[in-house]
Amino acid sequence: MILIPTSSSSSSYSCCSLPQASFSSNSYPSNQSLFLSKSAYPIRHGSRKLKTLRLRANFWESIRSGFVKNNNNTTQLVEPPSTTEEDEDTEPLLPVEFTLVERTLQDGFIEEIIFSSGGEIDVYDLQTLCDKVGWPRRPLTKLAAALKNSYMVATLHSVLKPSSEGDNEQQQQQQNKKLIGMARATSDHAFNATIWDVLVDPEYQGQGLGKALVEKLVRALLQRDIGNISLFADSQVVDFYQNLGFEADPEGIKGMFWYPK
Amino acid sequence: MLLGGPISTPPPSLRLRATSNPQNAAAQPSQASFQRQPPIYSITDEDLQSKGFLLRRTPEGLNLDHLNSVFVAVGFPRRDTGKIEVALRHTDAMLWVEYEKTRRPVAFARATGDGVFNAIIWDVVVDPTFQSLGLGKAVMERLIEDLRRKGICNIALYSEPRVLGFYRPLGFVSDPDGIRGMVFVRKQRNKK
Repeated sequence: MILIPTSSSSSSYSCCSLPQASFSSNSYPSNQSLFLSKSAYPIRHGSRKLKTLRLRANFWESIRSGFVKNNNNTTQLVEPPSTTEEDEDTEPLLPVEFTLVERTLQDGFIEEIIFSSGGEIDVYDLQTLCDKVGWPRRPLTKLAAALKNSYMVATLHSVLKPSSEGDNEQQQQQQNKKLIGMARATSDHAFNATIWDVLVDPEYQGQGLGKALVEKLVRALLQRDIGNISLFADSQVVDFYQNLGFEADPEGIKGMFWYPK
Repeated sequence: MLLGGPISTPPPSLRLRATSNPQNAAAQPSQASFQRQPPIYSITDEDLQSKGFLLRRTPEGLNLDHLNSVFVAVGFPRRDTGKIEVALRHTDAMLWVEYEKTRRPVAFARATGDGVFNAIIWDVVVDPTFQSLGLGKAVMERLIEDLRRKGICNIALYSEPRVLGFYRPLGFVSDPDGIRGMVFVRKQRNKK
């Protein structure tokens, strides 16, 4: 397990998980299912078509080339085309909340790892999580405000339930729900989004959860038509994000900070 | 906080203001609770006004078509004005310079963020006809000051290579501690 805490009290970017290849591990039962939908949005399991591997028009490229779409009227839209229409064919709309992993533990309990982009997060739980990964403390009121002002807050929760047959409502309420990961993005709701504060509980690191967290967050942002998704990565996690489709210093563009500590 | 000048200890009367942490009384620009000294800018507001440049901090009076023209003039893509409007509504702080004679924007910058910890500065532009007058610097200095006054101490931006020299004298450092700016460019090739 690799812990990569941030070294400054300001929210410099840090991630705490080194990815592993996939979810398939010896300890998981063979009947695990990924991406079980829990919400109204159905996910087409078997019929998931191969995504059209098109390079999304790079924001920086569009700056440089300044390509023009229409030439009839004076107000020309030169933004990269929205992928929403294309995604409908190649990618199902991401539900707000769904199960990432379900596994049976040694003591007979069933553990579900649930991803949510709904932003429901207890700020005390978050502070506990930040403590666990070794981040310096930030005032709770500021934490709460930062979450509230974030465009999207993605969370990973672990839900434990006994493996008895009847999964009735009462048992649902008795579940143990624990925050084990979070990532958030700020945005202007139109052009740019920036991802901050990616963290995964050390006990759950090394399972690909950090990767899933970021991947789903990115997908949710893309489906909201945010064309430019950026982040600042500590040197140790640059590879992690490269594997997720991020490019460092694209076209020589450099991240800069004002008088960093 | 002094911009572009030596760091000095503020006079005792100013120390009584603002800072919640007495240990941070010595003025250092990187401390979260900084001294609320009157800001010192390279060009003063009055100086700018005397030359016909008015400083604006809200989208009121900002013609988005004119703004688009400035974007295009510096090589940015022209954008949908409806989207620009949305973006400006969700912007933490912005600053633009209006040229009195034409009532048009000639310089612009905006910052997004979470309002408490982090801010990123986007779309820093100066109309080519009005470059090298110090307008870009004027906008940046004030935007930074406005963000700092809100308590935001992590201010970042993405700079094209040819303007790194513009941001450095303002106090920006590229890749501090090896931190790299990254942008999403493609969906991952390996599907789980």
